[in-house]
Amino acid sequence: MITLKINGQTVQIEKGATILAAAEKTGIRIPTLCYLKKVSPTGACRICVVDVKGAEKPMASCHTPAEEGMEVTTESPRLRKIRKQVIELLLVNHPLDCPVCDAAGECELQNICYEHDVTAQPFVAEDVNAATITGWPLIEQVPNRCVMCEKCVKVCHEVVGADALCVNLKGDRAFIDKNLAKCEFCGNCVQVCPTGTMISKPFKFQARGWELTKVASTCTSCGSQCQIDLNVKNNRLFRVTSDEGTINDGNLCFNGFFGSDYVHSSLRLTAPLLKSGNRQRSVDWDEALNAAATALQSGKVAGIAGNRLTNEEAFLFQHLFRQGLGCNDFDSESRFGIQRAYDLLQTHFGMQGGTAGLGRIANAAAVLVIGADPTAEAPAVDWLTQQACRKNDGKMIVVNARTVKLSQYANVPMTCRPGSEGIVAGALARLILDQGLADSGWLAANVANLEELRAALAGVNIDQAADACGVSRELLEEAADHLGRAPSVAIVLGGDIYRESQFSGTIGAILNLALISGALQGEVGGLYPIGAGANSQGLLKMGVSSDLLPGGQKASISGRDLGEILAAIENGEVRTLFVAGANPLAFPESGRWQKALAQLDSLIVQDCLASELTDMAQIVLPGVTFVEKSGTVTSSAHKLSPLAAAIDPVGSARPDQQILADLLARIAPAAVLDPEQLAAEVARCSVISAPFPILRVAPMPLAEPLPSPVLLAGKDLYYAAATNSASAASHVVVPGGYIAINPIDAAGLSVKDGEKLRVTSKQGILEGPVQVLATVPVGVCFVPYNCADVNVQAILPSFGSNTETVALSKA
Amino acid sequence: MSQVVFSSWGRKVVDHRVSGGDADLASLKLKLSDTYLEQGKVGAFFGWDGIVVLDRATDVVAMAAEYMTRVQEKYCCAKCTPGKRGTRILQDTLTRIVNGQGQEADLDTIETVADLLQSCKCTLCMTSVVPVLDTVRHYRPDYLAYIRGERTLPAAKAYKEKLTAPCMDRCPAHIDIPAYIEEIKNYRFDDSLGAIRRNMPIPAVCGRVCPHPCEKACRRALVDEPISIMVLKRVAADHEWMHHKQPPMVAKAPTGKKVIVVGAGPAGLTCAFYLALEGHKVKIIDMLGEPGGTVAVGIPDYRMPRPLLRRDAEIIASLGVEIEYGVKLGRDVSLKQLKEDYDAVFLGTGAFKSKPMGVEGEDAGYEGFSPGGIHYLRAVALGEPIVTPKRVIVVGGGNTAIDCVRVALREGCEDSILVYRRTRKEMPAEPYEVDDAEEENVQFEFLRNPTRLIAENNKVVGVEVVVMALGEPDASGRRSPKPVPGSEYVIPCDLVIPAIGQDPDLDYLGPEDFGIKMTKWSSIVTKGGTMMTDCAGVFAGGDCEYGAMTVVVAVGHGRRAARAMHRYLSEGKAYLDDEDAMEDIVNNFGAFDPNENIGIIGHLHREHQPKINGAERAKNYDELELAMPESQAVREAERCLRCYRVGMVSVS
Repeated sequence: MITLKINGQTVQIEKGATILAAAEKTGIRIPTLCYLKKVSPTGACRICVVDVKGAEKPMASCHTPAEEGMEVTTESPRLRKIRKQVIELLLVNHPLDCPVCDAAGECELQNICYEHDVTAQPFVAEDVNAATITGWPLIEQVPNRCVMCEKCVKVCHEVVGADALCVNLKGDRAFIDKNLAKCEFCGNCVQVCPTGTMISKPFKFQARGWELTKVASTCTSCGSQCQIDLNVKNNRLFRVTSDEGTINDGNLCFNGFFGSDYVHSSLRLTAPLLKSGNRQRSVDWDEALNAAATALQSGKVAGIAGNRLTNEEAFLFQHLFRQGLGCNDFDSESRFGIQRAYDLLQTHFGMQGGTAGLGRIANAAAVLVIGADPTAEAPAVDWLTQQACRKNDGKMIVVNARTVKLSQYANVPMTCRPGSEGIVAGALARLILDQGLADSGWLAANVANLEELRAALAGVNIDQAADACGVSRELLEEAADHLGRAPSVAIVLGGDIYRESQFSGTIGAILNLALISGALQGEVGGLYPIGAGANSQGLLKMGVSSDLLPGGQKASISGRDLGEILAAIENGEVRTLFVAGANPLAFPESGRWQKALAQLDSLIVQDCLASELTDMAQIVLPGVTFVEKSGTVTSSAHKLSPLAAAIDPVGSARPDQQILADLLARIAPAAVLDPEQLAAEVARCSVISAPFPILRVAPMPLAEPLPSPVLLAGKDLYYAAATNSASAASHVVVPGGYIAINPIDAAGLSVKDGEKLRVTSKQGILEGPVQVLATVPVGVCFVPYNCADVNVQAILPSFGSNTETVALSKA
Repeated sequence: MSQVVFSSWGRKVVDHRVSGGDADLASLKLKLSDTYLEQGKVGAFFGWDGIVVLDRATDVVAMAAEYMTRVQEKYCCAKCTPGKRGTRILQDTLTRIVNGQGQEADLDTIETVADLLQSCKCTLCMTSVVPVLDTVRHYRPDYLAYIRGERTLPAAKAYKEKLTAPCMDRCPAHIDIPAYIEEIKNYRFDDSLGAIRRNMPIPAVCGRVCPHPCEKACRRALVDEPISIMVLKRVAADHEWMHHKQPPMVAKAPTGKKVIVVGAGPAGLTCAFYLALEGHKVKIIDMLGEPGGTVAVGIPDYRMPRPLLRRDAEIIASLGVEIEYGVKLGRDVSLKQLKEDYDAVFLGTGAFKSKPMGVEGEDAGYEGFSPGGIHYLRAVALGEPIVTPKRVIVVGGGNTAIDCVRVALREGCEDSILVYRRTRKEMPAEPYEVDDAEEENVQFEFLRNPTRLIAENNKVVGVEVVVMALGEPDASGRRSPKPVPGSEYVIPCDLVIPAIGQDPDLDYLGPEDFGIKMTKWSSIVTKGGTMMTDCAGVFAGGDCEYGAMTVVVAVGHGRRAARAMHRYLSEGKAYLDDEDAMEDIVNNFGAFDPNENIGIIGHLHREHQPKINGAERAKNYDELELAMPESQAVREAERCLRCYRVGMVSVS
């Protein structure tokens, strides 16, 4: 700690802190404009200047470290004059369009002018500002409103790591420009802009800032669950914002900032529907609920829940089946995703999901990102990984079948063959052990069957492994060295891992690597399965699974899981299916599902958006989006967060919790829970289980990767969730599905960007426009999930893999 | 010598406009050329510390307007409010005056805005007001004449300006140091390396073993300590390979011109790099079996790991440069032949001949007498079968001498003794290297000079030394040592290595070799900053041109030569362009004032890279200095004051 004086007041602050931080601590306000805590100091505006005894020139308090014995003055006639004149300079050629400026009322330049009594414009200069940039998707840039604080540039580069924005040109002509190819449309530039320079096109001219009510809630775009404010007026969501100081430090991704426009999509279901003959008609709720209750009690029933349900809804869903219908034949869409990691973590480590608290990633000395593209699967994990490795000197190792965004920041970027991540993990564990870099004392004290692991790893041949996964031995050794030497390790695994055909061996190998590398030791780093849907973790904890009890423990008796439900529909053992917030037509082997669903007596769909699925349904119960309902959700890192009903449901849609409660009341009045009881159940189920005192090594049988060419399905940021199909913003950025291949393969197939490509697998044929991308390796074709127009699930094998050997041809 | 009509340089006003008298530049300690290339006379110089007017007819008002226009439109980074807007207002105000639309109140505006520019983030715009204010204050009647529409002075033929900074100017390769430091501050390590590579293609080397003269001209030192400029360069260079990134450079389309570069040392590699980027087909020949020249075989691996040196060379080769090893000019190929086979020749043959000590017995062919430090280091580096005995004496006080005593330790010697005729303070070696040697238990015999080798059975057993006493300072400022009569004694040893300097070996220059001239120090003469010898098409640089000097001087030569060679190859004439000429003019003028009052408060310590400590390290060749963590590098970069400034001459 150091001691200094500010305006005569003594203040103590940690060494290295700035004068501005010291002043803030004392409660002395120094005006700022370009200062943004979460990025490196810019010192652009010069408004925060102070006088320091001993210095003739004024010093910018935002980037001058405080020093022992320093004497600082923050207010004087000289400083006031400098600040006022600097503001006057800022106003030279600043347009007087405040009345129609999007930032009006929220403009820091307005505020600072007001505060400093800037009422005249003594300076003049030729107006050489660049013209307004209207050609970018979703974001507009108005250069003459810019104060060149570079907050947008810095947040884009230092926090998001997109590095799309830059200062272009010199002198007064300088303006913020963008490399569109790098933009992630996260809107953080809009959020940090102190003026109306960077503005959101969808929000432009829609509402005045001061008219909007900010309702604190939680983003449900992915399992990270960032804290957000829903900006609403007249029962309409106008925009989503987030404040600094939240767990996500005010940062949002594309889906957080722009993606929730589906809330007011024309695809919203606004009234219950009943099908008679081939036609659906609007009915009142009683009729629909009665019909649904009757169908559910027909005896041959099963259920599928999606991760858009809240904890309360999830609890009620399983409660309806278990207590109301006495049926265990229900499952969630996590079955062929995150639940695979969940099950193995529970079996071997006693952990119900990953390590608690994403923030621990930010200080890890090494981060391994394996089979994951955090940018699309959990953007907050992307930012935290960058924080650990770009700002806090951590070492980043990225193992992926494609070049993903984080690869550019990796110390060791490894492009492995699709499906070979487990082999990489096994090789890394073996190398760490061989080089004596594992903490043998900790392993001996905390792992039960270490010898089994040693024996399994003894069978790993590094050169063979390197050959099999297509990564050099040198890279494996370098990665092992980083992981082995790091005092704290975070391991991030994603969708590519859970969807490997041999997922249990792959997950096992990663779990074992977590033991060997020390990821489970200490208070920093950890093991983070990502890529789940909004509330997947909550669904598993509430027991929405054929084989998990409320609380998330393994059930002794299991019902039909997703695969068995499909088979049972096909053979007529299930005649009624209740689907809440999920879409089996977007499950693997979607064609088989399509046929099966058509055979049902009753397909009951509870959802907020119309789709092919709701078109097929006999009964449609219109639920609501996260903006219209309250309840809680659980993040992949175990944080329980509230949702706030910020607007009324659209049309006559009802909150899903109410729909489920109404069904329960009709089916089993005795099982009805009052709100307190439900809250208590959710709280009981949400308790984070302690890991086993002694951990167990997981078996890790590993298969050879598939022969090329391989189809690889994965998440695309702009189609990360099913709701993106109803998002206008998603379609602006990426107009639809695509099939991405390497330029060399494109040349071999004589296809160019935009031309049609045909992908043939055992399951079927898929056609779509080609995107030629160097980030996709030779011999691989990448197709994103969730694009209805290029539905990759139609040609993927059922209940398993995101990879499949295919044939490619020009269509 | 040129006469000064008016000068405000260094805040000292010398005004001979009315008196009609004048003062010459030398008396004002100003080193300003009075001509600009072959284009005309220098009328005036405008810069960060005032104006110097040589030609009475210079229109200083028009020049001020032009100066401010160029600062604003070409150099102002726009990244602080006063700089971005303030210089624009000044530009517009001055332009208005020159266009006859000014008012007297405009002069007050200039004063007001200039004052506000003292709050700028860096010194570029801040210093740009200095010459402008000087004109407003000392040439007010000229301004008023313009405002009244009476101005008639002739326009200058041309203005030439140059962005510089004290560090950048002092760097022999003129790297844009503030730029690469700022990129590090902004976490843009690739861009930082890009800025470095504009002037220097071997950053892994110069990030490690550069004597960093730039840090002697760092203004931060005037408030606390200089920036770790060299280490930050290493951070940028290391970031690339530490992240398995490929360098982004791409050579231009082939020109069809062929160039031969003799010597794969820093000068040759640099020259090859910039020529290859221009699309010329470059081949390098080198007498050694690996790239780097003196850096490879004269700098031990614990200071400069050769794999990184090789990586820098491989990057250059990847641009299409062919390197053939084991070919020595004069032995395997003649200059005449090269001249015939190629469109241009660059000689970067280094300085590999050790200077003799001039003591009795050194020519006797004793066993245990090394021909020189550079030979010893090379033999060790190349893994030649030499045995280093238990007791070694190295004579000399430079970096080579220090390298020799430390390498001897690593080669198994027990007593490694450095004999130097002056004291530690006068040693030309870098002080930190002397400290490092001491930490490794090197023994120092200061104020001792060898007088005789002592041999038994034709084998060295000791050196007779005489005690020296320091006398008066000589021309270099160092006190010259004088022997104390009768003080001779013998230091026993098994091996003596003289390391008192090297000369170029220019035996390959025969009498028929096209009239290339040599200096009396047996280095090659080049002309007018183009690095071209007296033979058209043959260029030279580095140690063979300058005498044994530093890596960064060689890099500077290599780059300048490449620029001149490119013009020679494409236009048939080797000449300096405006950038080169202004680089030299500014360099001559000097951009660092060690007495400047910076006016801010310092107190931030320089960051140092971590290091392996203790004598134990002298048992292997592992690199001693470890990579500076990037967060620490960013913190260090934040100390940079970004001391940019713009100098401009008018040509009349």
